Amino acid sequence: MTDVPKTAVRPKVAFFDFACCEGCQLQVANLGESLLDILGAIDVVEFREVMSEKWDKDYDVAIIEGSITDSHAEERIKKIRARSKVLIAYGACAAIGGVNGMKNSFQLDEIRGYVYGKDYKFFDSTKTRPVHQVVKVDYFVNGCPVYPPELLEVLKCALRGLPYTVPDNPVCSECKLNENVCMYERGVACMGPWTKAGCNSWCVNNGNICYGCRGEVRNPAKNAAQDVIGRFNLNPETVRGKFDMYNKCKEGDNGNK
Amino acid sequence: MSAEVKSVNNHILPHGELDGFIRKLSKKMKVVAPVAKEAGNFAFQEVSGASEIALKYVPTVLPPKKYFMPQREKMLDFDLTGAQPSDKAVIDAPELAVFGAHTCDLAGIQCLNMVFSERPRDYNYLLRKEKIFLIGMECNDYCDENASCALVNSHMPSGGYDLFFTDLGDRFMVHVNTQKAEEIVEEMGLAKASPADLAALDKVRERKRSVFRNEIGVDPRKLPEAFAKGEKSKVWEDLGARCVSCGNCTNVCPTCYCFDMADNVDLNMKTGSRNRTWDSCQFETFASVAGGENFREARSERQRHRYYRKFKYPLDKFYRFFCTGCGRCTRTCMARINLKETLKGLAKETV
Amino acid sequence: MTEEIKNSNWRLRKGKIIAAKQMTAAEKWFDIRLEDGSLDHEPGQFVQVELYGVGEAPISVCSSPTKRGSFELTVRAAGRMTNAMHKLDVGDYLGIRGPFGRPFPVKVMAGSDLLFVAGGLGIAPLRSLINYVIDNRKDYGKVDILLGCRTPSDMLFGSEIGAWQKRLDVNFLCTVDRGAPDWRGNVGLITTLIPGVTIQPERTFAVVVGPPVMYKFVIAELLKKNVPERQIVLSLERHMKCGMGKCGHCQIDHPKNYYCCKDGPTFTYDEVKASKKL
Repeated sequence: MTDVPKTAVRPKVAFFDFACCEGCQLQVANLGESLLDILGAIDVVEFREVMSEKWDKDYDVAIIEGSITDSHAEERIKKIRARSKVLIAYGACAAIGGVNGMKNSFQLDEIRGYVYGKDYKFFDSTKTRPVHQVVKVDYFVNGCPVYPPELLEVLKCALRGLPYTVPDNPVCSECKLNENVCMYERGVACMGPWTKAGCNSWCVNNGNICYGCRGEVRNPAKNAAQDVIGRFNLNPETVRGKFDMYNKCKEGDNGNK
Repeated sequence: MSAEVKSVNNHILPHGELDGFIRKLSKKMKVVAPVAKEAGNFAFQEVSGASEIALKYVPTVLPPKKYFMPQREKMLDFDLTGAQPSDKAVIDAPELAVFGAHTCDLAGIQCLNMVFSERPRDYNYLLRKEKIFLIGMECNDYCDENASCALVNSHMPSGGYDLFFTDLGDRFMVHVNTQKAEEIVEEMGLAKASPADLAALDKVRERKRSVFRNEIGVDPRKLPEAFAKGEKSKVWEDLGARCVSCGNCTNVCPTCYCFDMADNVDLNMKTGSRNRTWDSCQFETFASVAGGENFREARSERQRHRYYRKFKYPLDKFYRFFCTGCGRCTRTCMARINLKETLKGLAKETV
Repeated sequence: MTEEIKNSNWRLRKGKIIAAKQMTAAEKWFDIRLEDGSLDHEPGQFVQVELYGVGEAPISVCSSPTKRGSFELTVRAAGRMTNAMHKLDVGDYLGIRGPFGRPFPVKVMAGSDLLFVAGGLGIAPLRSLINYVIDNRKDYGKVDILLGCRTPSDMLFGSEIGAWQKRLDVNFLCTVDRGAPDWRGNVGLITTLIPGVTIQPERTFAVVVGPPVMYKFVIAELLKKNVPERQIVLSLERHMKCGMGKCGHCQIDHPKNYYCCKDGPTFTYDEVKASKKL
């Protein structure tokens, strides 16, 4: 297990956004009362979405939202890492690449031409990468958006210098404890069987399918996928497509995450 | 045994009076019963009247074990402030009536009772159990083709309840099994069963004997031998190749009780609790140790383990199968792992 | 709330760390005194150690019950809880449950010769037995201790081992997988020490504790020396989470449905040889 550096008493915390919709930062605001508890324990020194101040010293905790999609972003994240004791990849874009990863399904020049027109070469762009494919990440908060109770768990661990382990079981394991009716029985393909738990099956509890936003479990059941697809008469391409929506960047992982 | 003697503990509740029964009961304590959900699923939920209850139902997504050992259970409160940490054992055991548990689920609770009253006893379970008033409901017909209750002989009532209901068409036969149940029945003013009622009950049971037949065509007395010889059977490899390791089969099983313990600190970082949650032997890390060794790394080993925990180990320890034939594991498995087929396959290969 | 809950096996006893020492880079030693009396354990048993707010881990008691007033643990930083435990020091408090498990059969072994084989951290549970035997030396026959570890700097209980080496009533041999410039002792796996030991197999109990991978090879050597299977005693490693034979984590894949926490962790080879893995 990695030794996670311990943070200072009232740690200096900064939020940074890269390629993302900034919706995960909004989840911090949505925490309500818990937010006050957190603010009592930390000192927020940079948070573009809610404040204009800048901090020029080191950070105890840097919370990174968004994925790395150009060389400018790569330089910037490396500088942040150098100034941060603890770095948290926050939200699907930062933790697994998220929807930005769909860019990797195309030839880079092709997609750049499509987005920026004929002068695309003047616009810097690289393959989408989650943060851990560029710099060392101490904690992962998965999800699109992040699941607030898990964010609180990770912050508590970070502030106490304890590691946080993202559950490596399928979302089904939590979904069943919530006694939800299986989405497959309702005739809808759900990414739960291959997606990491930890969200308390948030989407399914609310009548939605699992979109796979938390990333694939480390050892997914490949054969079982065929059985499930067969049993419920699904189109394998549709299922693969659904999964790629969030998980395209997994190809860059080389099994090290 | 003569009808007169039997009738002492048998009472009658006309269908039309079930609603009043549930309403009166729910004034005394929280009442839970099977309720219909989407896509042919059912779940035990709180009810206040008979109209909410599904009297005929396919076993609920989760068995009533969720009331005896909740999915998440607080065992201890602790406080980290002060010269030394302090802690206090806690238990939340509300008065509760479970209405409509099938015989398979009653058998499941009986299994759990044995496990948790074996020394060293688990008082959190035992104290909660004492607070639960258990009302069984007989299945006159199979719920669906996934059940295998006749194989393990749990299709007929065999104790493990306070009250037991059998539908006689226009009325329920209510068997009273405990003092607590006796008091409630008296309070509700349920009439004693007549010889004609008892004859009707006999008829239901007689019919059941022809409807419920060993579902796999293998003598259950041969299963111990099949499991003794079948450790290396290819059925486990087949199951392993298909298993998703989602833990659905163990979560829904009425006799699975493996658990994990974890500490949770409150946001104030000063207080917290120690909690017990359901765990599953199907999860990859279930049998791994800190040094890195995983004693059940392959999915096939974990599936095999699940079956041995139902058909082999408990037989030696508690003299009964820990499968109650409810069929939940088969119904819930997305990869179509089928208990009946697995047993047939194993028996074919070994005995 | 009933008395049963307060006094159940989930009850945590308060333990105060009265001494602590970093033994190697990965292992730290703690001396713990219970606030409410003695642990009253036997050699080979373990305790569940609760670090409030972090979690619990099963840890073998490494001191002999003949040492009174406190008990000792040697903890390898291998997981979340044990890493956090390494940050503790004298004066800190822990929650303790136990002792749990079947101890080494000290009474059955009385009168016999003893061959101790320890690999790596296996010396920790075995130390409780070795010191017990040394403190009751007249009850046992010939005593041989074989110790193996990765490198000389991984060796635990160095000063105590020095004392064992000097004793005339104990034969002590050790080996390292990889030597160091100032190491003049044996280099090689623990199995290489066994052929050189002279034993009378029928009157010898071999007590073997080490990582799971070690057992197969050490047992093969012992069987070559004709030590009877029921006189080979092992202490198996599993993740015991409850200590009461319930949670399911430590169950051994064996026809007899052993729970390592309750039926073990000590077993004779005869008892567990049908296991899928030792």
